[in-house]
This record gives sequence, structure tokens and C-alpha cells, in this order.
Amino acid sequence: MTDPMINIVRLSQEFEGFIALDALTMSIEKGEVFGFLGHNGAGKTTTIQMLTTLARPASGTASIAGHDICADPLSVRRCIGYVPENVRLYDTMTAAENLIFFARLSGVSEPKRRVAEVLDLLDCADLSAVRVGGFSKGMRQRIGLAQAILHQPQVLFLDEPTSGLDPMGIKMLRDLIGRLNTDFGMTIFMNTHLISEIAKTCTSIAVLSHGKLVYHDRIEAVTARYGDDAALEELYLSLAPQGRLAEVA
Amino acid sequence: MPDFNPIRTIAIKDIHDTLRDRFILIVTAFLGLAATVALVSGAIALRGDLATYEAAKATLLAIGKSVDGIKAPEFYPLRLLRGAIEQIEIIGAAVAILVGYRAAAAERGRQTLALILTRPLRNWQFVAGKMLAGFGLLAAGLAVVLVGLALVLHLTSGVGIGANDLARIAIVWGVALIYTSCFFLLGFVLTLHMKQPSHALLAAFAVWLLLVLIAPQIGDTLDPDNQVAGGVFAQLHIAKPDQTEIMKRFASFESLRNGIEVASVTKHFERFTFAILGIKATYAGMAIGPILTEMWSNLFWILLTALGLACLALALPLNPNRLAKA
Repeated sequence: MTDPMINIVRLSQEFEGFIALDALTMSIEKGEVFGFLGHNGAGKTTTIQMLTTLARPASGTASIAGHDICADPLSVRRCIGYVPENVRLYDTMTAAENLIFFARLSGVSEPKRRVAEVLDLLDCADLSAVRVGGFSKGMRQRIGLAQAILHQPQVLFLDEPTSGLDPMGIKMLRDLIGRLNTDFGMTIFMNTHLISEIAKTCTSIAVLSHGKLVYHDRIEAVTARYGDDAALEELYLSLAPQGRLAEVA
Repeated sequence: MPDFNPIRTIAIKDIHDTLRDRFILIVTAFLGLAATVALVSGAIALRGDLATYEAAKATLLAIGKSVDGIKAPEFYPLRLLRGAIEQIEIIGAAVAILVGYRAAAAERGRQTLALILTRPLRNWQFVAGKMLAGFGLLAAGLAVVLVGLALVLHLTSGVGIGANDLARIAIVWGVALIYTSCFFLLGFVLTLHMKQPSHALLAAFAVWLLLVLIAPQIGDTLDPDNQVAGGVFAQLHIAKPDQTEIMKRFASFESLRNGIEVASVTKHFERFTFAILGIKATYAGMAIGPILTEMWSNLFWILLTALGLACLALALPLNPNRLAKA
């Protein structure tokens, strides 16, 4: 049995007395595409912020590829890529300039060559010399994904990656995630609201409600038990009540 | 050994990005223009004085009289930089606050900080990169302004400037860089750590108002000798020893007045640069070495302020939750 790629142990976060995440414990195996579901303010983004070392947990810990997020954040940062919900880049710089900057920060040895490679991979080489100030949401999302995979991370964190995208954009992103997972073996950790995407993209899911983990299973077990997307939606709604939508930053 | 690559990468990106910001470029150009106007008006006056002297000399020689009777005026072209120094004191400090504000607010507004802080670099390296870019931009901006001024001075004053004058301008450039860095760091630290960037900008300008405009003026306003135009002592024809005797009775008041003045980094900058450039009559014609020896405490305080703020910027922990918001 190999060690899990992401191992979370009693991870908790608190903001001025409000418990945003309550002793979350779970593990995600290498090569999984993990879907993290939950209502607004359930603690999904808070979890990603701690796993990506952007915020320190109030208590508990987690490890990514064997590196502890509190004790060794730099090693964690070397193995992860992160795409926030709203990708905002440097508007006055071109897509390539933005990506070369992030490649250099990630210690990529030949940034220009690697940027060209990644832009080709994401089928957006034509955007290379264009300033990102004029980009649509979908184009920004693609460049956002490009910056996250420049250093070939083992784990890719995506926070609401399909938020604000049109159906074409959603399909494009789903295909990309699939390719990154199958062709490059990346483990994907994805926060999402879209139930329909879960069955098409994920290999396992978990549901968070008011900071507590209420469900975690492999997608085959979920579909075997609940069947189609509509039933999956019923499951989600029953587990993640919308009564108290505390917006947690 | 710390890794300087992330620092250099962030600094280069920031310089590149700032140079494409029209607002910063326009404000810097305004500083250059204001300093040049102040210089040119002084240079025209100096040229007039020189022409009057030359005309008087020519007239005396034409009628066969000796020119020994008229004393050649002492020309210190660097004194003409007084207006420019005052512009750097006031507008330069304001531009530095804007550059510092921009360095932090640009990342907060774009929410790019999360992308940077999930890279394998330490938070202090991010801050150091931003600071390096800020210092680089200020150094380049001040160099352009001062080189331009030296050129205008040389061409318009009719007196010309030599190597010694250039050395003094170079010293002023270095001190102006440290001085403006204090305000860059003030704007940067406040914007990086306060809840709202707009509040940080207001707070930075409140401090600027106090340090640059109010505190230095308090000294002049409260100076007993400045209460009458031309000076109280001069108007009453009181001799220097008697002046000293009278002022001894106001020792506590004078200490307080001077204390308020020197609490401002701007006053230290003004005292130092006015001495180096010979703007203050006491130092006109004095060699650089003795001036540096006498004015080192002013330089020390400016440097200490900049170093203190730089250490604060590097030491304060970043709050990603706060920085994720514009």
C-alpha cells in the first residue's frame, strides 16, 4: 500500500471565533481526480488555502506527496500547482510574459521553451504575444491553468475552475483536466459546485457541510448507489443544506 | 545562502510592469518638470546678475577705470537647485508613496499574490523583490531628474558646473534615494498590511503631510527670530553676542522647536542637501569632506528611518486572507 498523495489529519481553521473547517480528516490517492463539494462558506476554499500553504491551519495538519504543509511548506509548493477561482494575471503583460515570470519563480530551467510547450499543450499558442488585459474569462482560465502546470506539479488544486465559463469553456477545461490526469499522472483536487461535472471528471468525491466532512467515497460507489446525475444532486442537497450560507473569505 | 533568483525575478517583473503604468510615468514627469521650472527661473536670475556684473566691468574698462572697485559676485550655481530639492522633498516623497502603494495594491487588486505565494519562495523574498524594484525605479527616476537638472544648470546659468559640483549632485542623488525610499516603504508596508488599500494610501499621505509639510514648517514658524520680516534681531540691530545671550533664556523652547523639526526625516534631508549644495550660506564654498563630517547625523537619521521601515517590511508576516482582497 503506497502513501496517499494528500493526507489530511484533523485539519481545522477558525476566523474570529467562527469555525470554518472542523477537524477534516481524509486522504486522496495518487492519480485521483478528486471533487470537493459543498455549499458557499462550507470551507472548501479554506481547505485549499491551507493545503496550498497560503494559510496556516489553526490546528491539525496535512501532507502533500509526503511533505508536511506546516513543517515544510517550500517542499509542498514545489509539488503543487494552484488555479484560484478568478484567475487574474498582470494585464499589462502578454500571456507569455506572465507565464515566463511564473516559470522563473517556480525554478523552471528553460522558461521560454517550457512556456511554448505548455501553450501548445493547452492549444493556446496564438495567445502568447497578446496582453492578458483583453482576455475573456475562458482565456484567462486557460492561461491560469498554464501557469499552474509549468513546473509539472504532482498535485493540481483547482478552486471552482468552471465558475463563470460557458458550456464550451467547461468542456474544454474538463478535457484538459482529463489529459493532465491521464497523460501526466497529475493528482487533481477540485472544488466545485457543478454536480454534472463530478460524474464526468472525478474518480472520488467528498461533501463538506458547515466545515464538517459529511461524505467521502469513490465515484463508482456513488454512481452504483445513486445512479444518474439527478440522484447525485439529491444526495448533495441532502448532505449540504443551504440554510446558513456564511461567506468565509 | 539565500536564493536571490526569486527576488530578482519579482523585481524585474515589477519594474517592467510599473514602466507600463502611465499614471506613475506622468507623476514622475511632473516632478521633473516642476524641478526644471524652479531651476530655470533661478538660472535666469543668475544669468541676469552675471550680465549686470559683466556690463559694469565693461563700462569701467571702457572709460579707462580700474575694475578693482567692484567685487566680482560669488556664483554658486548649485544654489539654484534649491527649488528642485524642495520639489524632491515634497513631490518626490509623494511619488515614492504612490510607487510603494502600487507595488502592494497591484498584487492585491489582481489577486496574483496567491499565485506567487504558492511558488517555492519565502514570503520575505517576495517582499524583498518588491522593495528592490521600488528602489530601482526611484534610483532611475531621481537619476533622470538630477542629470537633466545638471544639464539645464550647465546650459542656462551661464556659469557652468565642474567635477566638484557633479560629485555634490551625485551625493544628493544617493541621499535623495534613501529619503524617497522611506516614503516608498511607508506606502508599501501600509498597503501590504492594512485591511483596505485605499485606507493605507490615506494613512500614508497623512504621515506625508505631517513629516513633509507640517513638522518642518513648525520650526520656521516658531523661530523667535522669524516673527518679523528680515528677522527680529536684525530689525532691532541687536548684536550677535546679545542675540546669543537672549536666546539662552529660551533654551527649553528652542530644544522643543528643534525636536519637532528633527522628528521629520524631511528636515534631515533638507539640512544635509542644503549644506552639500551650499544653499545654506554657512556651507557655501566649503569642501565636501568637512560638510559630510558636520552633517553625518542627518544622513544617519535618514538611513536609520529607511532601514527601520525596510526591516519592518521584511519582518511582518503576510496575511494571505487579507491580501486576497483588493
